[in-house]
Formats: sequence, structure tokens, C-alpha cells
Amino acid sequence: MTHQNIKKFSLALVGIIAFVLPLVLRSPTYLHILVLLYFYAYLTTSWNLVGGFAGVLPLGHAAFVGIGAYTSTILFLQYGISPWIGMIVGSILATIVGVLIGLPTLKMRGAYFALATIAFSEGVRVMIENIDFLGPFKLNGPRGLLIPPLNTGLANFLFVGKEPYYYIILIMLIMALAFTYFISRSKLGYYLNAGGEEPEAAMALGVNVARAKLIAMAMSCFLTALAGTFYAQFTLYIHPRSIISLDLSFEIAFIALIGGRGSIAGPVLGALLLRPVSDFSRIYFGATLPGLHLVIFGVVLVLVMIYQPRGLQEPLTRAFNKLLDRFAVKTTMEDKK
Amino acid sequence: MKILEVNALVKDFGGLRAIDTLDLVIEQGQILGLIGPNGAGKSTAFNCIAGVYPPSKGDIIFSGKKINGWKPWNLCKNGLARTFQIVKPFSSKSVLYNVMVGSFVNTDKKDVAEEKALKVLNSLHFEDKKDIKAGNLTIADRKRLEIARALATEPKLLLLDEVMAGLRPAEIDELVQIIQNLRDSGITIFLIEHIMRAIMALSDRIVVIHFGKKIAEGIPEKVASDENVIKAYLGDEYVVS
Ligand SMILES: Nc1ncnc2c1ncn2[C@@H]1O[C@H](COP(=O)(O)OP(=O)(O)OP(=O)(O)O)[C@@H](O)[C@H]1O
Ligand SMILES: [Mg+2]
Repeated sequence: MTHQNIKKFSLALVGIIAFVLPLVLRSPTYLHILVLLYFYAYLTTSWNLVGGFAGVLPLGHAAFVGIGAYTSTILFLQYGISPWIGMIVGSILATIVGVLIGLPTLKMRGAYFALATIAFSEGVRVMIENIDFLGPFKLNGPRGLLIPPLNTGLANFLFVGKEPYYYIILIMLIMALAFTYFISRSKLGYYLNAGGEEPEAAMALGVNVARAKLIAMAMSCFLTALAGTFYAQFTLYIHPRSIISLDLSFEIAFIALIGGRGSIAGPVLGALLLRPVSDFSRIYFGATLPGLHLVIFGVVLVLVMIYQPRGLQEPLTRAFNKLLDRFAVKTTMEDKK
Repeated sequence: MKILEVNALVKDFGGLRAIDTLDLVIEQGQILGLIGPNGAGKSTAFNCIAGVYPPSKGDIIFSGKKINGWKPWNLCKNGLARTFQIVKPFSSKSVLYNVMVGSFVNTDKKDVAEEKALKVLNSLHFEDKKDIKAGNLTIADRKRLEIARALATEPKLLLLDEVMAGLRPAEIDELVQIIQNLRDSGITIFLIEHIMRAIMALSDRIVVIHFGKKIAEGIPEKVASDENVIKAYLGDEYVVS
């Protein structure tokens, strides 16, 4: 077997395991944890398009999750429009907002861009908290919106068990990963990487860096908002503090930085490592030490940044490749026999 | 035919006049050398021509078009490429990746860009290093990478800013040969260089600037014996009359 084949094989194996997991793992608690794990991996993968490839640090992506969630939920509750359609409407809206925010901010350097995105997302949250009605649309201020679990079924994006949600978010994650893979190998991917690393050199080589970043931002916001609808349909209750929180924005960035920003596997590895920490610290210390997971993330982040500044995906990929080498050598020798 | 014309160019940085009413002409297919002491304004002139800074005054005409205020990426798409005196590789990426960023200018397809990049690497005897991370290259190879990336954009006019600084004599000779080949392939070259041996050998004409002003211009032999030039480089007290 060649390296390439072994890689494809292991990838397929991981995929198959992910698909059969709910058949084995019947506990709703574990399924719930896994759904959130994929949800975060998906969000981070979407974030990575701009935060990873384009080399800026957005810290307000929760706002786009919120826009997606609120749009589809309002359309569903007030007009009976299927959340599947609301999902697309919300994403288009988020894309427009993202581009409008990106136009002035993406030109800013490092910390200024990060701060601008925080300010934007906090602004959106405070606004929604203080608005009961936005024109005809009922936002319901800080009390949020409740989706009654009636008329379950695929058309309404409402299910009794956790399994359908599990498969939906898994498929969304796989699609987002495939999309990032495709982008990273395209002209846009080259331009984003170049513009993120050495903007002046990139510009001299024909790259309109600002435009490339804006396109990445648009795509990232679109994908992020899709997850907002998913979250609303999964938890059946959204309110500004749950969904447009800095906690969420920061956790995405933590996962990306620790897993490996700008790599395709990074967001998934990061979520695999950090989500359990987050869940278990909430289960066991939620009452006594709320926010403990963020402290743990901080410590892990500092250690990772010191010893593996490109994230944990790098040493892990290296180890995996070494393993492959050994395996490949062994099998070719056996083939010769 | 003139490929580049600079008319009465002025560039001010706050109170500092880095370029002072500079006139320049490059004929198609020529090699023009630009020399001058440290801080004379050579790189600033390049930056104005390549669209990094808008000129404070004056005109820049490239291929018959006035390009004042054009953005670097548009100039590049129109056939003007440059290297940086302080090299700026995409360090975390391979040599091939770096060069492909340049070759994507004329195509959207990855395999076309890759093919073009490999061709450029071949022509610079650089193909054996294509998978090395740019951040791990020696200084000589980084300079070569700067040239490779610029060439991948298929320029008509190439601005080279001290690509030989810090190289060993053998490496300089190789680069001189490479630049000569580029000119033979039809690319016009505008060259900043401190290494006199190289610039004398390469240039058709040389322009000398000092404090942003042109103080001499002409064929290499004439410029080398120019009194003003010697003064500028060595200071007044060294001039033996
Ligand atoms: N962005 C800038 N802002 C302010 N001053 C600048 C800037 N760029 C260059 N200068 C100043 O302009 C003058 C010319 O600098 P420039 O880099 O063009 O010189 P140079 O001829 O390329 O010198 P060297 O041989 O050392 O590369 C210097 O005094 C420099 O300090
Ligand atoms: Mg200079």
C-alpha cells in the first residue's frame, strides 16, 4: 500500500466510525456531547477560512451564529417557513453583514481587527437584548426565543431523538472540511496564505490581498450562520447570551489556535481535545467553578503557543507520517516476499 | 521604445524629501542600473514605480500608460514585477508554493500555475529545492526565490533591488549570468546594486542618485570616472584633483 492509499483508507475508516457511532453509543448524553463537538469543529472550520488562511484573528464570529439562528427561528415561528429555507436566508444575511464589517476592518492590523470584531459582536448582542420587536420581527429581547417541539420531521428540522441531529451536523462538518480542502488548494487559498503571511510581497505578485480576505470573510460568515440555525433547532431555545456570547467566539479561536490555525485537520483536532475538557468541567465543576474550562484552555493555549506555535496538528501529522513510513516499509517488504 | 518613463518624480516622507525631481527613461530590452550611497532613495524610487507609495509629485509612465496611484497588484498584472531588498518569502510554504503565488497571475488553474512555476525554477537551476520550506533557505537562495517569484508573473519590466547583496563571488557570477539570460529573453531590467563589478558588467546605462537627486547618468565607464559620483561615494575630502 502506498502512503496515499493508507491515508485515504484511514480517512474512510474515521468516516465510517463516525457514521456507525450512534448505533453503538446509545446514551443521549454522549450523543449530545458529540453533537456539540462536531458543532464546534464545524464552526472552527468555518472560522478557519478567514482566521486561519487569511491570517487575521476574528473574535466575533458568535454574531454570525446569532444572525443565522435568529433569522431562521423568526421565519419559522412567525411565518411557518421551514428552517432549511431560513437557514439559507440567515446565511445570506450573515454574509452581507460580514462583508460590510469586513470592508473597513480587514485592513486593520492584528489586534485592532480582533478588537473591532469583538466590539461588533458585543454590539449585536446588546442590540438584540434591548429590542423586543424589530419592525414586524419578534426578537423578544433578553428572554430569547423558544421553539416548541411540535410537528417533528425532516421538513421542520425538528426531531425527537438526537441521532438525526448527529447525522446532520456530521454531514455539515464533512462538507465544510471538503470545502476548505478545495479552497486551500485553489488560487484563492494560495492568495489568502500569501496575503496573510507577507502582504507586501503578495501584493507585488499580483494579489489583491484585501479582496481575497473579503471573499474569505464572506464564505466564512455564510458557513458560520448555517450552524446557527442548526444550534437553534437542536437546543430549541436561543437567547442573546447563549448564542452571541464572547465565550463562544473565544472558544472557537481557542480550538483553532490549539488545534492548528490554517490547517484543515486543526479545527477537528482542536475540538476533539478541548470539547471534552469543556463538557466535563461543566458537568463536574459547573456549580463550584464556572468558567473553569476557559482557564484550562488558556493554560493549554500558552503551552501550545510556546512549544508548538503552529498548533497540535503539526506534531500529530508528523507522528502519523512516521507511523505511515514504518507501515509502508513493512508492507512493501511483505509484498516482495 | 520607452518602457518606463519617470518625469520629475518627488517623494516626501513628512519633512524628508527622499526623491527629488528625478527623471528616468528605460528603453525596452535594456538593463538600467541605479546606484547611490546608502539612503540615497533608490528603494524609494522602486517603491514609487511599483505602486507601494503614490508619488508626491511627478508622473510615472509604464508602457505608454500613466500609472500614478495604481496598486501594486494591478501593475504586476500589467507586466511590472519587483523584488524586495529585504526579502519577504512566504516562510512557512515551500519554494514551489511561493513561486506559484506569482504564476497564478495569469491563470486560475492550479496545474497551469504549477507547470509555469516549475519552468521558472528550472530556468534558475532551482528545481531541486522546490519542496524546501522558504524559511529554511540560505540567504542566496532567498534572493533567488525573490527573482523566481517575480519571474513567474511573466513581467515585461523587472525591478531588482540588491539581489546580490550578501552573496559569495561565485554566487554573484551565477546571478550575473542569469540576469543576462533574462535580458536576452526579452525582459527589460531595472537594477539597484551596490556590487560595482556586477552593475558595471550588466548595465547598458547607469543612473546615480544622491539625496534623492540624480547626479550622473550614462554608460558605465563614464559614470565610474564621474567626479560627482566619486565625491558622493567617498566624501569631498577624498577627491584628488
Ligand atoms: N516609509 C518611509 N518612511 C519614512 N522615511 C522613509 C521611508 N522609506 C524610506 N525612508 C527614508 O528615505 C530615504 C531613502 O531611503 P531608501 O530606502 O530609498 O534608500 P536606499 O537608497 O534604498 O538605501 P540603501 O542602499 O540603504 O538600501 C532614507 O533617508 C530613509 O530613511
Ligand atoms: Mg534600498
